[in-house]
Amino acid sequence: MTTAAPIAPLAARATGGRRYRQVLWLLTARDLRVRYSTSALGYLWSILDPLVMAAIYWFVFTQVFERSVGEEPYIVFLLAGLLPWMWFNGAVGDSTRAFLKEAKLVRSTKIPRTIWVNRLVLSKGLEFLFSLPVIAAFAIFGGAQLTWGIALLPLAILLQAMLTAGVGLLIAPLVVFFRDLERAAKLVLRFLFYASPIIYSARDLPEGLHAWAAFNPLAGIFALYRSAFFLEELDWYLIGIGAAVSVAMLAVGLLVFRRTERSVLKEI
Amino acid sequence: MTSTVDSTGSTDRAGRAGGQDPVIEVAGAGIRFRRNRRGRRTFKDLFGARSRRLRPDQFWALRDVTFRVAPGEAIGVVGRNGQGKSTLLKLVAEVVLPDEGRVDVKAGVAPLIEITGGFVDDLTVRENVYLTAGLHGMSRREIDDRFDEIIAFAEIGDFLETPYKHLSSGMKVRLAFSVISRLEEPVLLVDEVLAVGDRAFREKCYARIEELLAGGRTLFFVSHSEKDLRRFCRRGLYLDRGRLVLDGPIEDVLERYGRDSGTR
Repeated sequence: MTTAAPIAPLAARATGGRRYRQVLWLLTARDLRVRYSTSALGYLWSILDPLVMAAIYWFVFTQVFERSVGEEPYIVFLLAGLLPWMWFNGAVGDSTRAFLKEAKLVRSTKIPRTIWVNRLVLSKGLEFLFSLPVIAAFAIFGGAQLTWGIALLPLAILLQAMLTAGVGLLIAPLVVFFRDLERAAKLVLRFLFYASPIIYSARDLPEGLHAWAAFNPLAGIFALYRSAFFLEELDWYLIGIGAAVSVAMLAVGLLVFRRTERSVLKEI
Repeated sequence: MTSTVDSTGSTDRAGRAGGQDPVIEVAGAGIRFRRNRRGRRTFKDLFGARSRRLRPDQFWALRDVTFRVAPGEAIGVVGRNGQGKSTLLKLVAEVVLPDEGRVDVKAGVAPLIEITGGFVDDLTVRENVYLTAGLHGMSRREIDDRFDEIIAFAEIGDFLETPYKHLSSGMKVRLAFSVISRLEEPVLLVDEVLAVGDRAFREKCYARIEELLAGGRTLFFVSHSEKDLRRFCRRGLYLDRGRLVLDGPIEDVLERYGRDSGTR
């Protein structure tokens, strides 16, 4: 048995932002590793899900019905909304269980608590990035033209990350107290899928609804994504209001999270 | 029972934390819980402000607890079940936050509380060591350096690539203790985790704790075993009904505790 080493100098320990990133990365890597070590298809699952969904909508709206919404080629238009939606949907859906699922770990380590939500935003965000080659492939085969709008991709990702984190930070602590919210959130998400311009474009909405649609921040965010292929989707009114709502959502989420942290730690 | 004033609430800590800056400083800390944890929740519970008001369905698990710990001290916490010992440990570990007062811990903490909490069933022993040590703040290189030591201590060398869920419960605790006790943090918190595991391993754990103490660590130890408390601790904290009743040399504290619970 060796004698104990002298106390490590405190400066050697990562603190603050670096420590936050280290732990965030560890937990994200853990999630991906668990997923890949327990399933044979691994990575394929993260693109199979949106692909099947896209195939269904493509079939319904181009083969069965006479389509009057969206852009040409429809499959590219659809995926440009569907893939980011999967990110939002997955991260918000999982954050309803952010504390409950990791209760033992939350109770035994003092890492900054926002990590429990942010790691979900990050790991679903990475899956989203991994699935981007699917759009690229369809764009090449479908003959969609890339525009300068692709330069707006980082802005779209940033806004969506802020919005998703905000909603997650708001909902995660609330679910600990009101378990019903877990199912309510699933219902709201399903409603939101059709209420957001995913299978259609915000431009297809009747004039009276368009002004209101802007207050769904996803409308502006999806418009940014789609402008990479369809510049006519670039609607700065939608994007401006969407950005403002996203920032506000993040502020509200952080505020609620901070106020409820104490109670949540006692409850789990 | 909102404010049972204990007449002997005077505390003895003269000169103890003097000289050096305290590594743990708890000032007027209090925390309250709901009596009925299954009851209906309201938004008031959720946004409970840090007020000193107590609603009828709540109780103070700890209140007006004040003490300072100097680096290198070994402190034993005693009290009957449900008097706030574990809650105090969690406050010091900063995994719960006080409703009033403040808890200041100025150095890294290696918490031996729910030690198996961070381990993931589906990952192997090796992956779990890197994960848990990393979550507690060790860098990859530090873990590389200590990996063999950790595995040797846990006596688990043949199972490196075994998924964690296939380990026996004894092995799980051994591995967890081994990882957390190698964190090299200046403060060590020990709850009654060592009740599990066979006698030989418990002795090994105790030897490790003594080694850490000799290396200048600060120890915060919760136990019902007077023998263990005497072995490690010089100073004791006696908690009763959520109050810090006595803070003094461990002998005095054990004597008082024995007198109060009528076992001696």
